[in-house]
Amino acid sequence: MMTDYLLEVKNLRKWFEIRKGFLAKPLYVKAVDGVTFELDRGEAVSLVGESGSGKTTLGKTILRLYEPTDGKMIFDGKDITHLDAKNILWYRRQTGLVQQDPFGALPPHMTIYRILEEPLIIHGFKNRHERREMIYRALEEVRLTPIEDFAPKYPHMLSGGQMQRVAIARALILRPKLIIADEPVSMLDASVRIEILTLLRDLQEKYKISFIYITHDLATTRYFSEWIYIMYAGHIVERAPTRRLLDNPLHPYTKALLAAIPDPDPENRKRYREVPPGEPPSLVNPPPGCRFAPRCPYATEKCNKEPPEVEVEKNHWVKCWLFT
Amino acid sequence: MSDQLVLSVKNLKLYYRTRKGIVKAVDNVSFDLKRGETIAIVGESGCGKSSMAKAVIRLLPRNVHLYEGEVYLDGEDIMKYDEEKFRKEIRWSKISMVFQGAQNSLNPVLKIGYQVAEPLILHEGLDKEEAIERSKKALKLVGIHEAFTERYPFELSGGMKQRVVIAMALITEPEIVILDEPTSALDVITQANIMNMLKELKSRMNLSYIFITHDIALASELADKVAVMYAGEIVEIASAEVFYHKPRHPYAQKLMASVPTLRTDKKLEFIPGTPPSLIDPPKGCRFNPRCPFATEKCRSESPPVIGLEEGHYVKCWLFGEK
Repeated sequence: MMTDYLLEVKNLRKWFEIRKGFLAKPLYVKAVDGVTFELDRGEAVSLVGESGSGKTTLGKTILRLYEPTDGKMIFDGKDITHLDAKNILWYRRQTGLVQQDPFGALPPHMTIYRILEEPLIIHGFKNRHERREMIYRALEEVRLTPIEDFAPKYPHMLSGGQMQRVAIARALILRPKLIIADEPVSMLDASVRIEILTLLRDLQEKYKISFIYITHDLATTRYFSEWIYIMYAGHIVERAPTRRLLDNPLHPYTKALLAAIPDPDPENRKRYREVPPGEPPSLVNPPPGCRFAPRCPYATEKCNKEPPEVEVEKNHWVKCWLFT
Repeated sequence: MSDQLVLSVKNLKLYYRTRKGIVKAVDNVSFDLKRGETIAIVGESGCGKSSMAKAVIRLLPRNVHLYEGEVYLDGEDIMKYDEEKFRKEIRWSKISMVFQGAQNSLNPVLKIGYQVAEPLILHEGLDKEEAIERSKKALKLVGIHEAFTERYPFELSGGMKQRVVIAMALITEPEIVILDEPTSALDVITQANIMNMLKELKSRMNLSYIFITHDIALASELADKVAVMYAGEIVEIASAEVFYHKPRHPYAQKLMASVPTLRTDKKLEFIPGTPPSLIDPPKGCRFNPRCPFATEKCRSESPPVIGLEEGHYVKCWLFGEK
């Protein structure tokens, strides 16, 4: 069967070695441990998980900032699991990254103009006028206007929201096919968050860029993605179209996560929230089988074996024995 | 909750001196707090909400330019106390605080039990053994087993460290606890856990909280009433019911409209522009450059605080001088 996914990820693993095995057994942090999904062209996915769930590692492995330990990734019909230097450069042009901390992501000694010019130079845009045009267009797209005012500025002269706009302009300037934004607004204020997310979403839709939005903030996913993937301890435990997942969460972990998040409602103060006991497991020595089993109210004997991913209803996948 | 007033802040001001000029971080702020009641102070970063908390507990930096107003605790103006008396009788004994990110400020080389007990040794003059016994009780209150008195911070998870920090704020049995973003940097499930605990402690100990947060959804977990700060001023104070269903100040309305909801659909909005500088705030109403309803009057004269009903105050020309 012909598929036309932009990205296919198959059983991807990224383990970090923390103790070399010579006489003793080597130890690994299994940050991403068997992840499979497909990403359509122009589609926006929210990758949601708590800290330490492996969501950032997954993002960085997809961008090939990390070398995968095992598994396979197909991007635009091409195997990108292992790439040589020439192909890495090609792949970098297809992808863009917006990081959490704009203060750290922009070099402090470069002007905004220079920051945006850098990727153009690296990717061989030799004509200075062409570069200038591209930079101006990029700044206009992220609404850093008047452009003449912003281009010569240094990052420290900008507010957090403005810096994040520069980071977005930089990620988009080469018209990549895939953008990964890792907590792009978690350091910004509430009202600015919506502004930046709206901007990202508009540009992503305009240029039909596939978009992976990594976040711990489930409330924003409703507004900015078509799909939600829920990660827990290195696994994707549930994935479904946004509304379906929010309206009908199936995995016990997803249910617990949703129940923990308040909506603005004065009734909240009069009730207690149901919270699962315990904490996420260590990724060095995770529980055998389902990673959530030790905290799960429905856990049975069976959960000591790794559950398969089941398509419970169309497009709604759950990695849990309850649905087999 | 009783009707007994525990804290009454009147016209509190805190200005800082910087190289660029005078920063009016807290500018004429007034509010009341009853026993067992929680007031949430919400606003964007740099609106002065943390400075306001520091002004109440009088933990001031060295570059203070102006610090004045009245703060009545159980009817007595504690602004009149000198530093020595304030330290002995108020700070940590009657008003304590959980600082933002405090879970990462625990001393790595001291045992948990001693760190929790320290306020008792310093503020109540207890000896170490006695204080550590009490710290076991305080830790139990926040759901940590007494065996942890013998452990070091690195042996605890983030959520547990946060519980320890809350135990430190409770051990002296204060009347008021200031919570400055007490769950920032914690995961949502851990956050829900801490919120549950704060609710329980509040009803069990009849505590009053001043809950400072930028997270408006989270504020509703504790708030009996909400004060919205903008550019150093409180622009609206209302009961939680009024604030969450029908805020009146244009800024409060915009702020509410920017909060994404998990369970229902709504049209999300953002507030164009950026908050003003606190060194040179706009003339008249400080929100006027971003306000869709701004008139000539708003640009020239600062609006008065207008009472709409019992406990509901708005600082906006839209509601006065009709």
